[in-house]
Amino acid sequence: MKEEKNIEKFCKKIIELKLTRRDFLKSSVFLGGSAILLSELEKLYALVEKVSKDKLTTIQQYELSKAENILHTVCLQCNTGCGIKVKLFNGIAAKIDGNPYSPWTMTPHINYQTPLVESTTIDAAICPKGQAGVQTVYDPYRIVKVLKRTGPRGSNKWKTISFEQAINEIVNGGKLFADIGEDRYIEGFKDIWALRDAKISKDMAKAVKEILDEKDKEKKKSLVEEFKIKFKEYLHTLIDPDHPDLGPKNNQFVFMWGRMKAGRSDFVNRFVKDSFGSVNAHGHTTVCQGSLYFAGKVMSYQWDYDEKDAKMKWTKEKKFYWQCDTANSEFIIFVGASPFEANYGPPLRVGKITENLVNKKLKFVVIDPRFSKTAAKAEKWIPIKPGTEAAFALGMIRWIIENKKYDSKYLTNANKAAAKEDKEPTWCNATWLVKIEDGKPGRFLRGSDIGVPKEKRIFKDKKTAEEKHYDFDAFVVLKNYKTITFDPNDENNPVEGDLFVNTEVNGIKVKSAFQILWEEASKNTIEKWAKICGVKADDIIELAKEFTSHGKKAAADIHRGVSQHTNGFYNVYAWLTLNLLIGNYDWKGGMVQLSTFNHLGEKEGQPYNLKKLHPDKMTPFGIDIIRHGEYEKSTLFKGYPAKRPWYPIASDVYQEIIPSIGDAYPYPVKILMMYMAAPTYSLPAGNTNIDVLVDTKKIPLVIACDITIGTSSMYADYIFPDLSYLERWEFHGSHPSVTQKVQPIRQPTIAPLVETVKVFGEEMPICLESVLLAIAEKLGLKGFGKDGFAAGMDFKRPEDFYLKMVANVAYGEKPEGKDSVPDADLKEMKIFYEARRHLPKSVFDPVKWEKACGSEYWKKVVYVLNRGGRFQNYEDAYEAEQAKNKYGKLINLYSEKLAKTKNSMTGETFSGVATFIPITDCLGRPIEDEKEGYNLNLITYREISQCKTRTAPNYWLLSLLPENFILINSQDAKNLGLKDGSIVKVTSASNPDGILDLKNGRKIYIIGKVKVTEGIRPGVVAFSLGYGNWATGSSDYIVDGKLIKGDSRRGKGVHCNPVMRTDPYLKNTCLVDLVGGSVSFYDTKVKLTPIS
Amino acid sequence: MSTKIKEDILIRMQNDLKRALTKPVEKRKWAMLIDLRKCVGCHACTIACKAENVLPPGVVYRRVLEIESGKYPDVERHFVPVLCNHCDKTPCVDACPVKATKKRVDGIVDIDYNHCIGCRACLNACPYGARTSDFGKFYTQDTPKIQPYELRPAFEYQKKWYRKKGNSPIGNARKCHFCLHRIESGLLPECVVTCIGKATYFGDIEDKSSLIFEIINSNNVKVLKEKLKLKPRVYYIGLKEELL
Repeated sequence: MKEEKNIEKFCKKIIELKLTRRDFLKSSVFLGGSAILLSELEKLYALVEKVSKDKLTTIQQYELSKAENILHTVCLQCNTGCGIKVKLFNGIAAKIDGNPYSPWTMTPHINYQTPLVESTTIDAAICPKGQAGVQTVYDPYRIVKVLKRTGPRGSNKWKTISFEQAINEIVNGGKLFADIGEDRYIEGFKDIWALRDAKISKDMAKAVKEILDEKDKEKKKSLVEEFKIKFKEYLHTLIDPDHPDLGPKNNQFVFMWGRMKAGRSDFVNRFVKDSFGSVNAHGHTTVCQGSLYFAGKVMSYQWDYDEKDAKMKWTKEKKFYWQCDTANSEFIIFVGASPFEANYGPPLRVGKITENLVNKKLKFVVIDPRFSKTAAKAEKWIPIKPGTEAAFALGMIRWIIENKKYDSKYLTNANKAAAKEDKEPTWCNATWLVKIEDGKPGRFLRGSDIGVPKEKRIFKDKKTAEEKHYDFDAFVVLKNYKTITFDPNDENNPVEGDLFVNTEVNGIKVKSAFQILWEEASKNTIEKWAKICGVKADDIIELAKEFTSHGKKAAADIHRGVSQHTNGFYNVYAWLTLNLLIGNYDWKGGMVQLSTFNHLGEKEGQPYNLKKLHPDKMTPFGIDIIRHGEYEKSTLFKGYPAKRPWYPIASDVYQEIIPSIGDAYPYPVKILMMYMAAPTYSLPAGNTNIDVLVDTKKIPLVIACDITIGTSSMYADYIFPDLSYLERWEFHGSHPSVTQKVQPIRQPTIAPLVETVKVFGEEMPICLESVLLAIAEKLGLKGFGKDGFAAGMDFKRPEDFYLKMVANVAYGEKPEGKDSVPDADLKEMKIFYEARRHLPKSVFDPVKWEKACGSEYWKKVVYVLNRGGRFQNYEDAYEAEQAKNKYGKLINLYSEKLAKTKNSMTGETFSGVATFIPITDCLGRPIEDEKEGYNLNLITYREISQCKTRTAPNYWLLSLLPENFILINSQDAKNLGLKDGSIVKVTSASNPDGILDLKNGRKIYIIGKVKVTEGIRPGVVAFSLGYGNWATGSSDYIVDGKLIKGDSRRGKGVHCNPVMRTDPYLKNTCLVDLVGGSVSFYDTKVKLTPIS
Repeated sequence: MSTKIKEDILIRMQNDLKRALTKPVEKRKWAMLIDLRKCVGCHACTIACKAENVLPPGVVYRRVLEIESGKYPDVERHFVPVLCNHCDKTPCVDACPVKATKKRVDGIVDIDYNHCIGCRACLNACPYGARTSDFGKFYTQDTPKIQPYELRPAFEYQKKWYRKKGNSPIGNARKCHFCLHRIESGLLPECVVTCIGKATYFGDIEDKSSLIFEIINSNNVKVLKEKLKLKPRVYYIGLKEELL
């Protein structure tokens, strides 16, 4: 007890400490203030550390290895999310190294229970970007105050205004830019927040769902009329009462984000959806690897009872994907994936690969048009023609089926019981019978089709004990010429079926799913598939042989090179189907999924269910701006093609957000808020977004939250400064190749570098959270402020939210806390406080922290935060030859859901099985730019030393490679008369002048240096991302009338996205994959013109 | 079935290091081994070293060379980290007119910043180009403000070195010291810990139970420019010097 009191005392002392470091940070808008000369160094230096006479005496223990100088958190220099330790010197992040508790940095990582003091001398591996993180945080071009533009959008003229003024203006609206001659009234949040009644929103949402679900046109119309009568008092809250399915005016607020992780995204969703009532909160998945995620989603649909709809349907799908269990595979095919450079690979995968390579436990091959650093260590490099990835997989599938090298024991299992019998964690629908309708595979054959009546079932609600009756219509397989009906989830009656079925049942033409796959794969000979891919047939055969020679310990691991094509979805589907043929899912060395500790508290017994802790939740409804839904269901349906694509499968369709706003389809948007988003830079043909952003008629109010004036935030009306990744909270989550169950937690490690403001009476730094809290405060939104969670439970500070999440993670997912972490002991409690002695009260107030997570969980929370999250021990991720954290369900080799879904541009249904589709525009027409002389296929890649715009301030990294180049094969170089270092202009059919127009008077020619190499397929040229920035501190700004000179080092090199092909039909958007939503990064044909 | 796997090589080397530190300094024989089969050319070592030792523009202790060879499609890429070899025969030490650089008893070649006059003789004497001069530059010197990561002290040779005009190490020759300040506090050198390919080994080469001893003795190892007979303490597996 005495010791505890001492700790309390100690903690109080910390809070009372005056922090001189803050002085160092007070400055004008930029972290840097105005330009200084070297001679001024002395003054600055004195602020960092008062020079003491003993500064050269030998130190006892290396200060950066003392527990009280180390905080554990998570990197965000890319999205891999490696665990890091931030080493502090006088409150400054002096050095970053790998956190040994994290499975990302070591194999195996140290046990979670290792006392903190024992970990201090163990620094683990992180990549060069991670090492350079302090340069992102301490960036002289970081903004610390709110900026409001004083010239046209994009003009880079700003003034600083107070946080309170900014919040007041964006909430209340008005003639906000009258001072610069813009005589337009801008609606603020209060105007867009039209529908405020949660109950009405729920009722309207229900009525709109009925309208959407009604297939009959006339009935649909009359439902709309009924809606208008029923809600006549609320019609003014709708965007268009004649189209209630557009939803309320609230939807005219759109929040878009670039990189955002859990915690923050939950915060945003709570604000935008639950409290403000807009459906429009969208991420950026499709610019990364959308079609990979959405192929995973399609393959993971289960035929199950849906509580919401009270019926059986395809449900419980996950937006996710698989990667291989890197440490235990014997043979890996990396396709369009380079774990040594990107691919969420380094550092968590590289060490596993190199170790096994040297010990001869692993062989791997790389399929990639570019000879990547991964290819440099591979057994074989296969330089495939971009966009033909599915063809290669289908060639392999053909060989494997023809030679009967597939795992038939696995594939014949039709349901859970059969899988269980074979000790298989998953099963697939290879044997299920599919009806052939109009010559095309469609729905699955059902019991009711062959005279087996639907089963009457009862669902009993656990909580309400209410009983609901529903029908179950069985699926059918054929076994030895007999039909067998079954339930896929039946655990007791194993059903197996024949793999090859092509027959008639009850007069209905049927085929097994596997037969349909075989027909796809056998459409071409292996030689023909090889020809399509531009590879040798022997390569396909050799890989197919090797792939089927390691039991379950082989895997095809795929990433962006497969998914970021117009045919990306089916490329992915083909490769994931290939993995199905050896049934390697959930097996050690096979394909595995990620697993995270639930931070939202949705599992039984967890302390805080944050989805439910909302006093008056809105039900947002209506079509969203990216049209994640079915075109034909909507009241906007006017035949094919749609004005712009609809995405029934994909969500977070990044490239659709701003162009859709530009086209006001499905409706105009009034407020756009961008967070850590650089669509103008990161999207292919992202320059088309600039045209919309600069147009105040198309978007009346643009707000950004950013740490610098970025390539997209420069087009905002207001920029709110944000906290960097070392100053804030997030729950980073995991990646599939991490087999352990984890939850890495990002937390404040240094004092905020931005201005401190007051919201809900609380001091906090300006950041995304404080902006949203302040808007909520001004509007009086439910779900924030006093009693924001529930009566007596306030939501006034970011920590009120995040520490509850930490408590959930610490508690674990088993009832009665059987799974909870230990309490931090006194020693660790002391370290916890001591290591935060430099943090001001505005971010670290121990009393408030403890209150936010609940005293009973406080010591567990400390235990977790001391380690930078929660991480399962290495060995606990496996049981015998299988992964412990299993997917464990049906995997769709054939997707009925997909086969029933219509393409919004052609009106045709999608293929339910993996297939090869050539590169096309959104109407399905081939793109024939070669005919106009654009004959080089442009692709992108990533240097490990760069991310995208966020690494621009990293001078150490720039010293490795000050500018990027355009890789070209020596044969092509010779043909074009190019040499190493030759300067070329890059042009395409949709950007024949090779120009990026910033719409502020500045035009940038897409000009770069070539690097002649043998390491790229002839006919293909490549550039690495992260270079050619036109903002983010690379060019000049004016703030408060003062010129801030940009630093040209940050903008060197070439960024070719602006020449990437726009879709000929859409015009203001890049080429897209209509199924998985992916943007095309690798299908543009360009011309290189030498510049003398 | 047991799924036990070996400990990460960092843990093994950490224990080797602790054991070595129990010996008197003259009995420790530090050496480094780089297994090029495992080096993926990520340059984390270069950057980690810059961050750890607060290196200014122009100063680099450990570089990674990237070499492409062959003809499409039979291409090869090689990555070779190079650093001070801490040679037993030391032309750099011989060249120093003021005896500011020396070979320590534990094998490390160090620089006494307080005595170095910055004459650059050692730079010219080193056949590996492992030494660079500190001209007192800052990465952020021409930006709105010099940033704290450049102003915090370096801890080289277990002292705090603030970057301030007229103070060492500004004006001095600089080079790798195997992170002596880390080693003596029980931490492995920075380039070793951050090596994502786990390609860099470090330890007491005379400790027969150490990992570095084990690997060197079970592989064909080479040193750079063997012909010079300088007896480097940095060894390589998979070195193809003809490509350099």
